[in-house]
Parts: sequence; structure tokens; C-alpha cells
Amino acid sequence: MTLLDLRDVTKRFGGLQAVGGVSLGVVQGEVLGLFGPNGAGKTTLFNLIAGSFPPDAGSIRFAGQDVTRLPAWRRARLGLARTFQVTRPFRDLTARENVLAAVPRRGSTTPAAPAARLLAEVGLDGRADDRAGDLTLGMLKRLEVARALATDPLLLLLDEPLAGLTGREAADLLALVVRLKSRLGIVIVEHNVRQCLPVCDRAVVMEGGVVIASGLPDAIRTDPRVIRAYLGQEAAE
Amino acid sequence: MSGRALRTVLPGLLLIAALALLAASLPAFGASRYAQTLVYYLAYDIVLGQSWNLMSGMTGYVSFAHGALAGLGAYATVIAMNAGWPVPAALAGGCLASVAGSFVVGASSLRLRGVAFTFATLFFQQLALLILRKLPLSGGPGGLALQDILPLALPQILMVALAALATAGVLILRRSRLGIRLLAIREDEDAAAALGIGVTRLKLGVFCASAAIAGAAGAAHGLFTASLYPDDVFSVDVSLTALAVPMIGGMATAGGPVAGAALLVGIGELLQIFAPSLHLVVIGALLLAVVLFMPRGLLPFLAAPLRRLSAAPQPAAERGTAP
Repeated sequence: MTLLDLRDVTKRFGGLQAVGGVSLGVVQGEVLGLFGPNGAGKTTLFNLIAGSFPPDAGSIRFAGQDVTRLPAWRRARLGLARTFQVTRPFRDLTARENVLAAVPRRGSTTPAAPAARLLAEVGLDGRADDRAGDLTLGMLKRLEVARALATDPLLLLLDEPLAGLTGREAADLLALVVRLKSRLGIVIVEHNVRQCLPVCDRAVVMEGGVVIASGLPDAIRTDPRVIRAYLGQEAAE
Repeated sequence: MSGRALRTVLPGLLLIAALALLAASLPAFGASRYAQTLVYYLAYDIVLGQSWNLMSGMTGYVSFAHGALAGLGAYATVIAMNAGWPVPAALAGGCLASVAGSFVVGASSLRLRGVAFTFATLFFQQLALLILRKLPLSGGPGGLALQDILPLALPQILMVALAALATAGVLILRRSRLGIRLLAIREDEDAAAALGIGVTRLKLGVFCASAAIAGAAGAAHGLFTASLYPDDVFSVDVSLTALAVPMIGGMATAGGPVAGAALLVGIGELLQIFAPSLHLVVIGALLLAVVLFMPRGLLPFLAAPLRRLSAAPQPAAERGTAP
């Protein structure tokens, strides 16, 4: 089932075209990696999908509905959940309350998962009653995932989930992604291609606001356009 | 709300009910007129404080209009009573007038973040005074008197009941998902929206609910004073009381406004005797001291060491696994 379908999505900020005519799709049960060097437009595209702002042109369909103009909270109610690149916990609330704040997706058939189970799923059991402001960065990254899962999403958007994590923490988080993908679609925007690519089913590489390559991870790894974008002209030759 | 959450608030609810029964039955114990009036004003400040607490304490959107909202309730109720409405209908009319006022202010300013709402409430506070001074319906600057004089026990019991209900409401809300979502809005609106919380609607809804409580306080107070002068009813002092009570006692808690109201009423009485002209100066200094030294308010400030004490002996194993 196609969950997400972007057609010619474009976004300008003043004179800068941050995203120029991007089309892509995500189906249930797959992990899509969205890669590219700094300034490639990954985060802007991510925010367009999540509904932080509307695109200037193009259309976004999610779960069979046109959501191009829907605000972020309505998209979340349809089953589109996101995490933030710089974690944004509710610092004064406990970890459990952070999870309880989420509103389950409309028409969610699975009964709301208890907060304790979601916290256990991301390895935060035992921290439930701690103030979120007292947790480490690695824990906050996982708390963001637990909070997003509490909406019972169909599609999970992860914005640089590995940034700032230790090697062990990153490995744990990627293992969680693999466990989750059977029940939902996942989009990962990530800087760390090497570590992230193995869990991706497909990858899209952006540069200068456009898609320069897309396909299976192995093909992406050896694509000369991708190598050029990351390492420069000489390395590609 | 789950059974477990209900059990955690049950002792608090019982305490509220006991205190309210005690306060409402003061005349039966032969309490003096003075003591009864003191309890009445304590209850009035609690209701005003809880109504402000519900909106501003929970969501972080500071209102300077809760006095004006209460004033609308007072005027609407007295006008309705003079027009021959029965008491319950007149009280309901008072609440509705406040809700209507809050809807206008909220719908125009709560879409925006930050201080837009606060400025809109300040503007509304002044506008309400101007309009009610001009309207013939409200008696103009000379004010309005309630034609039937009701027994004082009615507004007294009503105000105590409102204080108990509002405090119980905040206590339950604080433990419910709805309350957590309001606090989430206070913490980070983008993150709240990402979790499916309809931030603008929820803010507007809670502001209207909070206005209904302020309106009920004003309506009961209109019956108590039985005469309304626009310069008193719409004085910014009432709005400042509504704000000072939870800020001093403890915002986003049920007990905070009760403690804050007790402190303010107590200080007010002492100052009446020793230095009547210094009332606002002392309240201002108290607010400043609280904001500087205990930003969460008196009650959470006092409770923090107790909580640390009770949390300390917990063994490390129970604290869960390290990352």
C-alpha cells in the first residue's frame, strides 16, 4: 500500500529554491533513507512532508488523501508522525507524560499502547517518572521515537535520529527501526549514510534541492553522481 | 481518566469536599459576620485564581482579562435578575456572557503565539470598562443595583461551592491526558502539534472554559455586593488578583491557588489594620519575590525538599537500566 506520494514538490525561501520539484513515494513496510550533503534540502523536504509549512507547488498525498494544505496536527491525526532533529521534549513533564500527551491516530484499530510498553520498546523503562529535562541526549532521542509511536502512526519520519548518539546508542536505534518496519513505513533523513544505509530498503539522494539518485542501497553506494556530491569531482573519476 | 489516576486524586477530592462543607456551614457554628465575609473573599479569590490557573497556568498564555471576564458575568447576572429571570438562569446568563467575551478575545489572538494574546486581554479589559460606562443598559458610570435583595447565605454558599468545584476540576485535569496536553502546549507548541494536538482549538476551548469559571465567580459576586460600579468591577486589580493568586501559590497545581488566596487574603486583612495604603505595594513585592526566588510558586517550592527526601532512599536498581 502506498502511504506517501509526493509529486513535483517545490519550496522557495526568498530567492533560494530549497526543494525543486521532488517526487517520491513510500510504501508500508519499507524504510526509505533520504540522504545528501549539507544544504541539499533534506530537512526542508522532511518539514514539507510533516506539514510544518505548505509547498509552493506540487502535491502531497498521504494514506489516500490529499494533505498538501493540511496543518501538521491534522496530518498527525491521519497517522503521520515525526521526530525532531534537535530534540524537543516537554522538559517539565515526565517521560511517561511526554508519551501520554500524544493523540492516537483517527481510526486507530489497535487500542492505545500503554505508555509503559512504548517506553520499554525504546529502552526507557525505569525512566518513566524522570523529568524529561533530566534525561541525556541519547534518551531524549529515544523518547521522541516513543512519543511518535504513541500516535499509532502509519508512517514514521525520523529527522537525523543518529546525530549526537554514541555508536552503541545508534546501533540500538537502528535495531529498533528494523523491528518497527513490519508494521509501518519509515523515512529516515540522515547525515551518517554509512551507518544508516544497511537498514534502508531504498534510498534517495538529494543535492541542491533536487533528487540526484534513487534506488536500492547497493546501487546508491556506487553511483558516481552520489560519490561526486559527497566527495567532489576527483573522487568520482 | 483511569482508575489508578482516580485513586491518586481521591484523597484530594475528599479534602476539598470536607473543607467546603466546613466553610459553607460556618453560620451554623455561630461564626461572626467578619469570619464569614473573610471566608467568602477567600473563596472568591480561589475561584478567580483557579480560572486564571486553568488557562494561563496550564498553557502559559498570560491573561490580564480575567477580572473583566468576571465583571461581564456580574453585570449580565444583575441585569438578568432585574429583568425578572430566576436566579439559576441569571447565573447561567452571567457565565455565557463571559464565555462570549472570551471567545471574541481568544478567536482573534490565540492563533498567534507569544504575547498577542496577552495584549488582546489587556485591550479587552479596557474596552469592557469603556463600553459598560457608556451603555444605558448597564447604568453607565453611576453603576447598577440589584433590585431584589437576596439572603447573603446564597452567594456565600455558591462561592464556596464554586471554589471547591474549580479546585477539584483542576486537580482532576492535572492528572488527565487533557491536562498533560495543555502542559505540552505550554512547553512546545510545534512538538505538541506533531503529536496530533490541535493547539489553537485546545487553547481557545480552555480559555472559554476558564472564562465560564471567571463568569460564575463574577455572577456570584454580583449577588453578594448587589451593586456594581464599572470603575470597581472592571478595575485591573481584579485581573491582577486572578493572576497573583496562582503565581504566588503555584501555577498548574490545584493546591497552589488555594495557598495563594489564603496568603493574599491574610496579608490584605493585616494591612487593613496596619497600613491600608500599602496593599498593592506589598502584593507587588510579594509577586516579585516569588517570581525571582520560587518561579514555580510557594507550594511547589515548599514541596520540593519533601519530594527529594522521599525519592532519595530508592535503590538504584529500581531506577531502571542506564543507556
